[in-house]
Amino acid sequence: MKRNGRFFRAVGVTSVAVASMALMVTTSGASSSTIAKGKPVTIGISLSLSGDFSSDGLAFEQGYKLWAAAVNKSGGLLGHQVKLDIVSDASSPTQVVTNYQKLISLDHDNLTFGPFSSLLSLPAAKTVARYGYAMIEGAGGAPSVFQAGLTNLFDVSMPVKDSLVPFAKWVAALPKSSRPTTAAYVTTNDAFTEPQIPVAQKIMVAGGIKTKYYSVFPAETTDYTPIADAVAAAKAQVVVLGSVDVPTVSAFMQAFEQAHYNPKVFIATGGPDQGTQFSSVVGIKNADGMMVPNAWYGSATTPGSQAMVAAYIKAYGGTAATISADVAEAYSVGQVTAEAVNATKSFSNAKIIKYLHSSTAKLSTVQGKVTFDKLGENNSATAFTFQWQGSNFVQINPTSSPASKPVLLPKPVWGS
Amino acid sequence: MSKAKPTAWGLALVALIIFPLIVTNPTWTSIGVSTLLFMACATSWNMFSGYSGYISLGSGIFYGCGAYTMALISEHAHMAGGEAQFWLVPLAGLVAMLVAIPVGAVALRVRRHTFVVITIALFFVFQLLAINASFTGGAAGISLPLIPWLFNYFNLPFYYVALGIVIFATVLSALVRRSRFGLQMLAIRDDEDRALGLGVRVSAVKLTGFVMSAFTIGMAGAMYAMFFGQIYPQFVFEPNFDITVALMAFLGGFGTLLGPLLGGLVLEVAQQYFTLTFSNGSLYLILLGAMFLLVILFMPQGIVVAVSKWWNERADKRDTALTTGIASDPATDPATAGMNPS
Amino acid sequence: MNSSALIHALLDGVLTGSVYALMATGLTLIFGVMNIINVAQGILVILGAYLSYSLQVHFGIDPFVGLIITIPTLFVVGVVVERLFMARLKGPERTSMSILVTYAISLIIEGTLNTFYSINDIQINAWYVNRSFLIFGIYLPYIYLFGFILAVALLGALYVMLYRTRFGASVRASLADQVAAALVGINVKRVSTICFGLGIAVTAAGGMVYGATNAFNASTSYDLISRLLTIIVLGGMGSLGGALLAAILMVTLGDVVAVVWSPIWSSPTFFFVLVIVLSLRPQGLFGKQSARVA
Repeated sequence: MKRNGRFFRAVGVTSVAVASMALMVTTSGASSSTIAKGKPVTIGISLSLSGDFSSDGLAFEQGYKLWAAAVNKSGGLLGHQVKLDIVSDASSPTQVVTNYQKLISLDHDNLTFGPFSSLLSLPAAKTVARYGYAMIEGAGGAPSVFQAGLTNLFDVSMPVKDSLVPFAKWVAALPKSSRPTTAAYVTTNDAFTEPQIPVAQKIMVAGGIKTKYYSVFPAETTDYTPIADAVAAAKAQVVVLGSVDVPTVSAFMQAFEQAHYNPKVFIATGGPDQGTQFSSVVGIKNADGMMVPNAWYGSATTPGSQAMVAAYIKAYGGTAATISADVAEAYSVGQVTAEAVNATKSFSNAKIIKYLHSSTAKLSTVQGKVTFDKLGENNSATAFTFQWQGSNFVQINPTSSPASKPVLLPKPVWGS
Repeated sequence: MSKAKPTAWGLALVALIIFPLIVTNPTWTSIGVSTLLFMACATSWNMFSGYSGYISLGSGIFYGCGAYTMALISEHAHMAGGEAQFWLVPLAGLVAMLVAIPVGAVALRVRRHTFVVITIALFFVFQLLAINASFTGGAAGISLPLIPWLFNYFNLPFYYVALGIVIFATVLSALVRRSRFGLQMLAIRDDEDRALGLGVRVSAVKLTGFVMSAFTIGMAGAMYAMFFGQIYPQFVFEPNFDITVALMAFLGGFGTLLGPLLGGLVLEVAQQYFTLTFSNGSLYLILLGAMFLLVILFMPQGIVVAVSKWWNERADKRDTALTTGIASDPATDPATAGMNPS
Repeated sequence: MNSSALIHALLDGVLTGSVYALMATGLTLIFGVMNIINVAQGILVILGAYLSYSLQVHFGIDPFVGLIITIPTLFVVGVVVERLFMARLKGPERTSMSILVTYAISLIIEGTLNTFYSINDIQINAWYVNRSFLIFGIYLPYIYLFGFILAVALLGALYVMLYRTRFGASVRASLADQVAAALVGINVKRVSTICFGLGIAVTAAGGMVYGATNAFNASTSYDLISRLLTIIVLGGMGSLGGALLAAILMVTLGDVVAVVWSPIWSSPTFFFVLVIVLSLRPQGLFGKQSARVA
């Protein structure tokens, strides 16, 4: 009896399991590229609403939402209202893959926008490629992203490797009397920051600026004081810091202040571009003179930019100077997508991909003109350098550009 | 009972085989692949730690090494993405075994409690090496060649290869358990000094068990790399993995054969469900921790043991009722009083 | 590499190392008396840091003064956790189970902290964090000195308790041999509960100093716990003096490597040294050499 009981129990359990699994049958597959009249076009997005990239993820969400609102106000895409289907990936690559699979095969979204960061854009693009979807994104620009051989990936923002070039060229071209003679380079070992430093260093060394210190520190560092002290000890006149977020920059600034070290020029690759998130953490006085490379800022007059800024302030408050550049990156993703959809008069991902790669594509965004090379890089993107001056965030490079203001040089002493 | 067990196993196997043919949505079959890989890892972990009693929290070392083997070879040999890469999976397992030899030689010198901690430390050594050494590609990780399969086919080869790995790991674990080698490990778990005194070559046995368990875990790592197409050092060498594998074996039944499989199935499906619903946020952590806690405190010997105890107690009660005609309490019934319920 | 950087590294090693010693002492005490590996120690340090942060930001209480509140609070947390969860662990697999239980608890605490505080990095700020004074040709932030004094004071208090009070004698007896201690009439259960509470209470102090010198959030705990575990194993599990020495040794070594070689290899060196020492001396620096293998 025990024997039979066990057997029947096993059969029972197994058949229940199979039956319940069968109940989960759904049709898989990409949604069709035509949408019924009156139905919205859904766009699936995975964002880092928590985890390491959460502040950027939230700014991205704002940018996507602003774009969707603007498009819907003017009639939607091809007459269909835009609906954003946003899920959180907590900054995890495996979660990103699961999310995009769910968005496409369960939610049947028509299009997909990219997540934040090069780390996440790559697995995301690979996943959606299987379904033939395009991955238009604004924040995956590290060289490793473009080396994967993907044809469906489009980064509307500037490829990061060259973001320090205008800055480096400007420093190297300063008149001999005011040109710094020494520089210290320190960066976190991250795929976004590390490639930028050698590019800048090469230009500056050619301009006669000696390298007094060069080091790479682990991304998981929590106590920056020993490293910052080592940089301070080198007493270089220029500091080029490869950072990805505000806490890193602020830790270095704090350590430099404690060591009474005041470099003449201080540029960080990430952090000072985060608007109030930066100035409130370090203090507006200390922010004075800090430089950062970027592709957009609040007073930009590129097409659509001022309208976006006005809409942002209406929805979220603040001033033009406090808007994070991430918002513009996300907004640009929407703009490029809309332009492709309107040009091909369809939601077919295959057609969109073909259009974006073609040389006749006319794409312009709040970050400027966009053209994609065959790797998906935006090779029309220009890098600018920005600086905090007083309580304003102004463009200073390229110096030839009419929008550039005079550079505040040297950087004011800490706290003054 | 001996007839019903293989039948139950057989039915479960059939269910696993036909699962992706019935449930075709890639979201679910992806979960299936992950679950199978974890079941294999938990079984393999249990084959050493469960039988010998030496709890290792460094299985991530082998997982990561397997993943990097797959990624580095795919990249440097300029392999095209696809079936050919599956041949690298057993190779990755072998590499993991090679790595396990020096790791085990160092780690197994210490006492049981210190062993746990040293496996954690060694794990972090490997993680830091992966992030900082030049040949591993550093923090940017390694991208694997693009596999040109379409979405509705993609998961299937992975699923069946993973199923094959699970079957292999289970059979191996069963064979080890019944062998003299397995008995020696169990003897070490019960009382190591006595085993030593009885002539068991304790160091050799422990090291062999440790190295053997690395093989499957290395293969699982290689499968992961191929499946996701992209590896980053801090995600492939992840501390959560170590604990999750151990927890699966404990949850299911530490030292049993079915335990790790059941634990892997339940825990991984639960985790995947949580992440799909709560996406890895704070609520997810709280629920996960609470789930672990409840399981450990109320089913400390694992589901398998708890359920079979409960089942046998019920069967005993029923048997007694049938023979005596009245439902009776095994403790007071003269037929069974004084006997411990199995 | 210049000499002032090296001096700075050595100084920082001793000062910061003492704070790590404080946190590690709690961990090794818990293991020595109860045979429990408290993997949640890392997240409890962070909890202490967050509490100090909140007291300061919301109530304006200076972090050092706030310790009057946070230390007893964490003591109570420790006692509650011990009564609710640790006391239920029985059987031969007790130590291994304690790892899983405390890990589960750490997940819950981490999730709760993320919910209340969000995932953004923060740091405790006060006048002594930003200002520094000149010593030996280098600028040293005041917080490092104050943290060192605090650590020494608390460790001193702990030693006085252990070697001058009757309760301390019970603890030492339990540390040496639990069965024998019970046989001579020591209430090992009560000693265990109080020791667990003490072990957690010291993390409040360690957490406050850690939070003032490092940017942190809940996930910083993983790095912390791996360092703390490494320290107590190096020092010898259950040995308080070993924890102190190992902590100072490890932090100093890490800082010196960062100066002499590169910051990248600072952490790996930490773990390499552990592996080497344990290969030669499996019981750690001051651990008990056991007659039995396990």
